[in-house]
Amino acid sequence: MKLTDKPLKIKQQSVIPGFGITMGFSLLYLSLMVFIPVSMVFFNSSKMGWKQFWDIVSSERVLASLKVSFTTSFLAAAVNVVFGVLFAWVLVRYSFPGRKIIDGLIDLPFALPTAVAGISLTTLYAENGWIGKLLVPLGIKVSYTPLGIIIALIFISFPFVVRTVQPVLESMDIEVEEAAICLGASRFQTFYKIIIPTLLPAIITGFALAFARSLGEYGSVVFISGNMPMFTEITPLLISTKLEQYDYAGATAIAAVMMVISFTMLLFINIIQWWAGDRDKPN
Amino acid sequence: MSIEIRNVNKTFNSFKALDNINLKINTGELVALLGPSGSGKTTLLRIIAGLEYSDEGSIIFDGEDNTEKSTQDRKVGFVFQHYALFKHMTVFENIAFGLKVRPSKLRPSKEAINEKVNELLSLVKMKELARRYPAQLSGGQRQRIALARALAVEPRVLLLDEPFGALDAKVRKDLRRWLRKLHDEHPITSVFVTHDQEEALDVADKIVILNQGKIEQIGSPEEVYDNPINPFVYNFLGNVNLFHGRVHNGKVEIGTLRLDVPKNVGTHNKNIISYIRPHDIEISLEAVGEDFIEAEVIFIRAVGPIVNLELKRSDSGGYVEAEISREVYRTLSLQEKQKVYFRPRDFKVFIPEDYSI
Repeated sequence: MKLTDKPLKIKQQSVIPGFGITMGFSLLYLSLMVFIPVSMVFFNSSKMGWKQFWDIVSSERVLASLKVSFTTSFLAAAVNVVFGVLFAWVLVRYSFPGRKIIDGLIDLPFALPTAVAGISLTTLYAENGWIGKLLVPLGIKVSYTPLGIIIALIFISFPFVVRTVQPVLESMDIEVEEAAICLGASRFQTFYKIIIPTLLPAIITGFALAFARSLGEYGSVVFISGNMPMFTEITPLLISTKLEQYDYAGATAIAAVMMVISFTMLLFINIIQWWAGDRDKPN
Repeated sequence: MSIEIRNVNKTFNSFKALDNINLKINTGELVALLGPSGSGKTTLLRIIAGLEYSDEGSIIFDGEDNTEKSTQDRKVGFVFQHYALFKHMTVFENIAFGLKVRPSKLRPSKEAINEKVNELLSLVKMKELARRYPAQLSGGQRQRIALARALAVEPRVLLLDEPFGALDAKVRKDLRRWLRKLHDEHPITSVFVTHDQEEALDVADKIVILNQGKIEQIGSPEEVYDNPINPFVYNFLGNVNLFHGRVHNGKVEIGTLRLDVPKNVGTHNKNIISYIRPHDIEISLEAVGEDFIEAEVIFIRAVGPIVNLELKRSDSGGYVEAEISREVYRTLSLQEKQKVYFRPRDFKVFIPEDYSI
């Protein structure tokens, strides 16, 4: 018998006490709030046969709805990245009257019930609405098209990028930009070679949050999209339609597919995040 | 390249940061801007770089007015106190940055950039760390990279803002020696800001002492140390003992001391302040004549080659600091609470109305 054998130790020595209780509680909480509900989806859909599952999820209507959901969410998040960074920039770098008020207004899409947002956006963008009226002569239809979905999603996920980028921009050292200028970089070069890479981890986080939020959004979209199968029907709506038809198996099957795709994409974003965050850590 | 600063004024809100500054820096000189915090030294450096604009006055590089030029066009190398390295770039990319951002017509080829960066990396002795990120380096290494980065663009002037301020004492000493050596080999006109008089005296060819936005004195380290023009400079450039006294009958009277009046002071009856550096105090066990002051040894710190003494004057009760060599200390075999006699070997006299500290 070797005397040097030690029992397997998960816990690492740390001066901060309470590892056991905090870790245990976190895992319990995560299980109750996230893991168990999520695994029920897979559990329920596993009750049906593989063939039946495949028939449901590969039906044209489901595939079309997945395409609508992922494309519109992606585009909405992408638009929010551009304008979110711009907003954060304006709020951090310039001081102007009413800055605090605008800063407060940014969180409004979070506070508003999404159905209210959906109804007011539909009224605005309908063919006889204030903005819709102006767009009709240009041949642009917003309400009851994928464009309408994108606008609703932009609205509800707007605060994420602003709120993730803002603190990073605030803590950014102005000397770094001055150093770039001294080395002969133009303002534009300083922006895309120095500022954007510094903000990148925060931008990616903001994008991921906005994207995830948009994928799950339901309340505001149902009003503006018109919910036409194969055209403007989003996956969350299709799921609830199935539920209303007491097709629980069908609903969970679609939910399972959506969850796998979402998880894969978020994991991918996280990998980019680790890669981008790595260089700031000393080793 | 020479730098000329003419009548520069700068006010922040109501705070006068620079008050009519005139300064000429010759080609190849290494100049220290020395002063306490708030003296305007960093502001002046930033105005030279074009990172800050003066309210009045002009900045002239080699006879050419640069006052209205942007920082990018001034071709200055700037080294920041907190390095300001680009965290998302490797050491190599940091140094190459200034060359890579040049417009395509002026940009060297990829090979030329590689060669230049490698040359600079060996100059700062950091070749093996080229692939590291700044977060993985120590403070001293970061500052050397910042310097290499500034040198990569072959600046006409090198400006350093408290370059060693964030480093620990040992590294600071090494780096400033290294900077001095670098400057001797590549004599590029350099201006560095510091609040550390020892650093300025150690490194610079010329020291410019600033106080409250004004230049107090300009000169070589020896000049400013040996002939401070006023009490502020005297005080700022090292430890000092202050004595109140009078000029009377052609003699300076400090307590029981009678000293000859230096040339710069008249012989009228006046109150004076005299400054004596601790190492200019001579200690004796016996009073010889009247030019000694009796004192008691209060404290002895005998660590290192210099022995520090704290003396208490018997006449006025004032405290006096003295520095003597270890040999003298042994010969005198001083003890605490012992009676001794001291006199200044060298001293400066200022008339207090003229100056305030």
